[in-house]
This record gives sequence, C-alpha cells and structure tokens, in this order.
Amino acid sequence: MADKFKPPDVEENVGCNLIPMIDIMFLLLLFFMLSADMSQRDLEEVVLPQADQVKEDTKVRGTEEQTTVNVFHRLATGGFSCPVYSNAQDCRDLSHWLIAIRGKQFTTDTVKTQLQFEANLSLEDTVDPAAGKKLSKRKLMIRADQAAPYGYVQGLIQAAGEAGIYMIEVGAAAPPKP
Amino acid sequence: MAGSQDPNENPVAINVVPMVDVIFCLCVFFMCSLKFKQLEGKFDSWLPKGKGIGAAGSVSALIEEIRVAMFYDDKTGKTVRQLGTRRVEDDATLQQLIKDAHDDFVRLNKPDTPVTIDAESRVPWREVITVMNLCKRNGIDKIEFAMGTAPPAAAKGGL
Repeated sequence: MADKFKPPDVEENVGCNLIPMIDIMFLLLLFFMLSADMSQRDLEEVVLPQADQVKEDTKVRGTEEQTTVNVFHRLATGGFSCPVYSNAQDCRDLSHWLIAIRGKQFTTDTVKTQLQFEANLSLEDTVDPAAGKKLSKRKLMIRADQAAPYGYVQGLIQAAGEAGIYMIEVGAAAPPKP
Repeated sequence: MAGSQDPNENPVAINVVPMVDVIFCLCVFFMCSLKFKQLEGKFDSWLPKGKGIGAAGSVSALIEEIRVAMFYDDKTGKTVRQLGTRRVEDDATLQQLIKDAHDDFVRLNKPDTPVTIDAESRVPWREVITVMNLCKRNGIDKIEFAMGTAPPAAAKGGL
C-alpha cells in the first residue's frame, strides 16, 4: 500500500527556461531602439495647424543644412498654467509664447543673432546678383503652434530675410485619414 | 540540447539573470522614450531674393497682387478675412474668390501674380495656414507675406 504512493525515482526538472523570454526581450529591445528617432531632439511639442495640401516631408532630419525654429506655448509646469490655452482657445498673452532652436530658447531679439549665425554657417559660393550679397544655402523650417500669434512667425521670416536665408518652409500637419 | 537546464549536460552554466535585468531596464527606457511620429508636412515659401524686406509693402501704380487681409477681432475672438473690400466668412467662398482673381490675372497673361497674405500680428497662425492651403488647392504656389506691420512690441525682450 505504501509503495503505491512512493514518489518516482526520476527527479522532475521544474526549472524555468529563460531562453525564449530572453529572445523576445531582445526583439523588443531591437524594435524600441530602432523606432527611437533621436534626430527629433530639435522638435518641441507643437500642435501644428492642419492642411490637406501639405507636402509630405520625406527627408531624414539632419541630412541637409536646415535650421528648425519652434514657436510654442509655455508648458503647464512648475506652477505655471494658462487656462485659455488649456481650454483650446487662442492665448494672446505674448509672454506665454516661446521660440526655441534645438531646445534653446530665444527672444524675438536674440533669435535674429542666432539666425544670422546659422546663415553664415552655409553661405553660397557666389554673390547673388539680385540680392547683391552672398545668400545662405540653409533652409529655415518654422514649426509654429496652430494658435501662435502670426506676429512671431512674421518676425522670424523678416529676421531670416535680413540674415540672407531665403528658403523658408512652414510646418503643417496632414489631417488624419478617414 | 540548447536551453537545457541540466547542469550535467552544460557544466559551464552562465547566470543569465543579470542580463535579463539589464535588457528589461533597456526595454523600459526605450518604451518610455518612444514617441509615435506625427505625420508632418511643409509648405515651401521661398523669399524673393532681389526684392528685399519691405518691398511687398511698396506702392506701385498698378496693383498686381491678390491681397488677403486678416484682422483679429478681440470681441469675438475670431479672425476677419477680407479680399479686396469684401469680407469673407467661409473657406469655400474665399477659395472661389481667390480662384476668380487668379483666373483674371491668367487671362491678362500674368499667371505669376502672387497671393499676398497681409495678416495682423495677433491672428492665429492656423488662419494663415488655412489661406495658404486654399491657395494651394487652387494651384497657386506663389504666396507672399506682407511685412508692413511690425511684430508685437510686447514680445521684444519680454519672453
């Protein structure tokens, strides 16, 4: 009778096989690493205006001489909040709007100096006969929030023109497909 | 057999637990930093090389432009759009009016006549983009920005 309930002699291996889990984690890691686009560091959180005629930006950022200027609303952090912007209305308080290039913030005055510096980094080889000076080969991409006051963008275009940057691109988002 | 846990079969056992920990941490890091890219596009707007700043506001004998004026109404919080002397409410009407004006210039053999957006500094940027979008729908690529009005004075050094 006692022999009937005797455990088997062979020791059963109940260890957890980690190899499939490691394989899957490696695949996950690879996926997240490849999808992490580190080149987007110069892009701020901007709610772009929507336009159906917008030209898709197919280039990989950083492959050509381009400066991206972001015009965006101050984030609601550190005790700051803007109820107007939070309620998706147009905030007209100019002190709430910021200009940033590669994560560094500028005022409407200091951004002129920065744009001049950026323009001088890539001047054309020859003097442009129409402009009477060497223009810049650099493109300026303006990514402005959809509620940003136009005066900011206008000031940036004006500063770019004075600096010799004539290739201006304005960012917009394609509307979601139905 | 690969992956066997039997120590007799594989005497040099490697402790994989620290490796799993590290990979797990890396996975969490990349998961947290993952941001799905918004489908972004752009409008090209090359500045005229020879005209210089402020030339758009210069007065010429013949008005050879399609000027869309935009004002911000503080009371209603809305943008008022005006083509010539006519105030336009909806996008479809404005698109048609721009098209008609452009067709008139095409008939006069001046297809390169630009659409000039003359917006007040407080106008929201999306309203300007909307007008640019309407121009693109009409096949008009030459869009200019009027630089007549100065940027908001309070913005200077106030940020």
